[in-house]
Amino acid sequence: MTPTAMTATAEFRAAGTDLSERRRSGVSTGPLIDISAAPDMIGMHWDADGSVRLGAFTTIAAIAADKRLAAAYPGIAASAQGLATPQIRHLATLGGNLAQRSRCWYFRNPHIACLKKGGPDCPARSGNHLYHVAFDLGPCVAPHPSTMAAALLAYEAKVTTDRRNSITIGDLLGDGSNGGADNALQPGEMIRSVELPSPLQGERALYKRAISRTHAEWPLVEICARAVVKDGTFQFVRLAAGGIAPVPLRLHAVEAALQDRKATAAALANAAEQATSGAMPLPMTGYKLDLLKGVVHDLLEGLAP
Amino acid sequence: MSTMTINGKLAPLPDDPDALLVDVVRDALDLTGTKLVCGAGVCGACTVLVDGEPAVSCLMPARSAANTNVTTVEGIGATKLHPVQKAFMAHDALQCGFCTPGFIVEAASFHDSWRAAKGTAVPSREEIGAALSGHLCRCGAYDGIFRAVADACAGRFDGSDIMPPRMEARDKVTGSAKYTVDIHHDGQLEGVILRSPFAHARIGELDLAVARAMPGVSAVIALLGDDRIVRYVGEPIAAVAAINRRTALAAIAAIKFHSERLPSAVGLDEARKADAPVVFEKSARKKAGNVSEGGGAPAAWKGNVRGPSAAFSKKPKKVRSWVDGARAANNPLLVEGIFRTGTQQHACLEPHAAVARFDGDRLTVHVSTQAVFHVMELIAKRYKLDHDKVRVIADHVGGGFGSKAALGVETTTAIELAREAKAPVRVAYDRHEELSVTGYRPATEMKIALLPSEQGELKALSLTAYADTGAATNSTIAALARLIYPAEAKELADFDVISNLPAGAPFRGPGGPPMAFALEQAIDEAALRMKLDPIALRKRWDPDPNRQRLYDWALGLDVWRNRKPFAAQSGRYRRGVGVATGYWLYLWQPGSKVEVAVKGGRLIASTATQDIGTGTRTVIANTVAREFGLEPHEIEVRIGDSRLPEGPGSGGSRVTASVIPPMLLAIEQLKAAIQQNAKRQPVPGSNAPWREMLAASPDLSASSVRPEDSRQMAPGIESPLRQVGLLGWIFGWMMRRFSNLAIGAGVPSSVQVIEVEVDTWLGHVRVLNVHTGIAVGKIAAPALAHSQAAGAVIQGVGYALYEAREVDSRTGDVLSGGMEDYRIPGIADTPMISVHFDQGGFDHVLGGSVGIGEVATVPTSPAVANAICNATGVRLTELPLRPDRLIAALKGRAAA
Repeated sequence: MTPTAMTATAEFRAAGTDLSERRRSGVSTGPLIDISAAPDMIGMHWDADGSVRLGAFTTIAAIAADKRLAAAYPGIAASAQGLATPQIRHLATLGGNLAQRSRCWYFRNPHIACLKKGGPDCPARSGNHLYHVAFDLGPCVAPHPSTMAAALLAYEAKVTTDRRNSITIGDLLGDGSNGGADNALQPGEMIRSVELPSPLQGERALYKRAISRTHAEWPLVEICARAVVKDGTFQFVRLAAGGIAPVPLRLHAVEAALQDRKATAAALANAAEQATSGAMPLPMTGYKLDLLKGVVHDLLEGLAP
Repeated sequence: MSTMTINGKLAPLPDDPDALLVDVVRDALDLTGTKLVCGAGVCGACTVLVDGEPAVSCLMPARSAANTNVTTVEGIGATKLHPVQKAFMAHDALQCGFCTPGFIVEAASFHDSWRAAKGTAVPSREEIGAALSGHLCRCGAYDGIFRAVADACAGRFDGSDIMPPRMEARDKVTGSAKYTVDIHHDGQLEGVILRSPFAHARIGELDLAVARAMPGVSAVIALLGDDRIVRYVGEPIAAVAAINRRTALAAIAAIKFHSERLPSAVGLDEARKADAPVVFEKSARKKAGNVSEGGGAPAAWKGNVRGPSAAFSKKPKKVRSWVDGARAANNPLLVEGIFRTGTQQHACLEPHAAVARFDGDRLTVHVSTQAVFHVMELIAKRYKLDHDKVRVIADHVGGGFGSKAALGVETTTAIELAREAKAPVRVAYDRHEELSVTGYRPATEMKIALLPSEQGELKALSLTAYADTGAATNSTIAALARLIYPAEAKELADFDVISNLPAGAPFRGPGGPPMAFALEQAIDEAALRMKLDPIALRKRWDPDPNRQRLYDWALGLDVWRNRKPFAAQSGRYRRGVGVATGYWLYLWQPGSKVEVAVKGGRLIASTATQDIGTGTRTVIANTVAREFGLEPHEIEVRIGDSRLPEGPGSGGSRVTASVIPPMLLAIEQLKAAIQQNAKRQPVPGSNAPWREMLAASPDLSASSVRPEDSRQMAPGIESPLRQVGLLGWIFGWMMRRFSNLAIGAGVPSSVQVIEVEVDTWLGHVRVLNVHTGIAVGKIAAPALAHSQAAGAVIQGVGYALYEAREVDSRTGDVLSGGMEDYRIPGIADTPMISVHFDQGGFDHVLGGSVGIGEVATVPTSPAVANAICNATGVRLTELPLRPDRLIAALKGRAAA
């Protein structure tokens, strides 16, 4: 496969923190369309009901630093604080984070063909997939790279593009069955904003990623978790995980195991065990299931009173 | 045309949509303090301020800098140094300095906003670690960086300028230090190498005509060997010099060739199979590289396996029968195991790079090298030039760690392209090249058996090591187990497993860390089974006088005495303490020469060595200054230029022990000459007699060659090779004859005591505290030796926990070719490090000092593993000790 065959369609460029690396390496060679923010596409726009609309051009650093956002949506703020590095967060945008391409080391190598570059199959599946999916939901085994997508999924956020209004994160990213793409945006479709529903009374939220070092590493597993615990009982709970599947996943089995249950140590441990429900690990990614249970357990302990 | 304001001046921005800010800053504006390293936003070396906020200029389209205010490191201390710059200098928070500008920009920004919000409150390590998490330092200067940032925020560097302990620190914190990649001659072209996409193939005719005809292309050359066979993905095929990198890349893409794919074998397991395709036929074996610091002895080849190299064995048959007997008798003291280590990349932040330029028949090459003089000799030999026609220069070198000790392809390619193009040519590797084809410490599989006697002595040791050397040979791992822990019998065998992967190279104590990973865990296990204190057992089994003193120091550490019993904890987080020992050979380079001169009243010390971040400039300045009663910054040190008197290579920890003795002799001669020429003696009772004498002295110089060491030695100090008898003597003779390295008496030694915390849920290991005790004689530059010792621990933590090259075992592609996938420690991974120097043991060396670089990193990985075992009861046998492996071991199953 020649480098020119890889990405022939035009790509949008906002801050370019993902695209610049692919341009330098030769993975992306097609035309560029530089986009910049219209006034309503940047910053935080609060509604009277306490909900907020985040412009797609809002930087990750702005999301990470905003005190009102951190109070209302602590899982969003913590996720933004936990991703990449300070110098990238200052440039990178929310829309770019959602629409970024895979970090798979086969995809990022311009000399290796793969599904996402129009190739016939996924070289990671039969090759070295140490950092890949543990929920094998599609032909490509690279996990989705967007930390913000997992957080927004936990918040059941809606996305507005220049063509579609209030679509779900699932609509935006697809179900992982299309190995050739990292999202389900149509060619030329651009993310404009993200709407977060108003937070629940008494809700708390946390974010955590499992990595080998302390900071600045793509997650092996990451989870954003929200809960309302009243009188020791889970009245509401949402968990969404990244790093484990071609798209961020809601951990429905964990949620079901906790809904209306007492937050006892045994209940938390039992719920954490449910995190791997439906998992289909690859030969090298079985460890991610242990990490998944570990991160869930850690977060549930943090959310329980 | 759009513009930006950069360091207060207006500058145009290119229209090219693919131009990145880093390229505009470095190439168009020649602000080379900003460095390009990873090209992926991971390492932070390219950080600049955009409207006051730190930003990765390597990922920022130049276009988006339009109408912004950009500040580079050159703008940070332009009028007067920023407090952070002074603090970095004072705390020696840098070594090679290549990452330093990025750190300075980020730390200055953090400092300014911290001070605005919090006055002179001191930020915590966690706050500093998070703020600087987007920066990587390969030398491991983090310990000093923590202290520097905390002290600057506390307002301790608001005042006047300071004199740094490191001679060139000011140039490094201001970005004015020029490295090879920063050299720019008029008319300079950019060279790029076309590399093999195949693990094994025979390359047919190259069609270079299309590339040659492309506008902007000045030279196209073939780089294939005479057999036209490529043996790994990335082996050079051809090279192009063009007006810029993009044109050169387009030209190499236009080179067409036919190839015949050959069957390949990738890695230890594939290449050892009986039916594995052979990488080097007999006639081609000379093409293999060398992974050791010296030459090696011949060994038998069988297919892709070279070995055994077993000359350091002692009664090996006895070992076999005793171990077999012990196993049959279920002797509980017999420790057996298989240990594996990962492939460690040097990951120098300055890539391998060379800039070649011909002026008539004179060739000047700036090279990012560890050996200016030796590389000059090699260039002269290869191109049949006289020594005085070749000049190799390396003012500053952005890390080497063993990978830049030889004449590299980047240098020969730059020379050959410059000759063909009749113009200066730069070749600077990109990050993928740097992390794939520039060498590595080979992965290993080691089988060990250790048998104590009934009396509790070490009776027998067996160690067999297979090294994953790629297209190289001469791994020395098992043999190193001969020179420590004497035993009645030792069976030591080294094998190279050659395969279709890039060639390994020497890396900081080459076979020492893997050997220690196996041996020091086996010793730990023996102590457990013998119910003995692991340090006390080492003290019993290891008579070396330098290490005996270190064991006494270690036994007295609170962290050791207060450690919890073995595997006594049951919670999620468990803490443990481990110990391990390391040693390296004391090497020096015969023929090393130093000239010391007084010129215009100023002292100048010259030798053709180089400073790769290890502190050689400062070692020289400190020594001269001390002898004359002056300040180090009053001394001018000339190094990094092959025209100076022959100096040592920066490898094998040899520089300090090679330059101090001849320097002291030269100083003695110079002092005598100054006194002879003095018209009057200094005022009696003067505090600075030499300052007065020097001021009045005519220009004089003296030089001396490295003398042999004294034969008068302290008790127990001898050449480690003495233990190996006649074969040891032959080995020493060969090293001196063929590698120009003398193996001296006395053994540089280290003992590390390490405390870890294990998160048993997430498989995460945090190294909390490291006590590193080091015996390398007198410390010539204390602050810098501390930096070396701490940096060695941090690299050792990387080797222990994070670092491993990953490849595709079918195609031979290196997958971990970027800094996000090849994971080196960040600042927040730095433990508290306490350094203890035992300054005895080398009084037979003039000046009493030997090198520290390698010995300081040897014991870290086994000490971490032993600490994890102490905490959890689980012994981890494969490096790196990643979460997946720790989780698997805790659950009692095999990792993938």
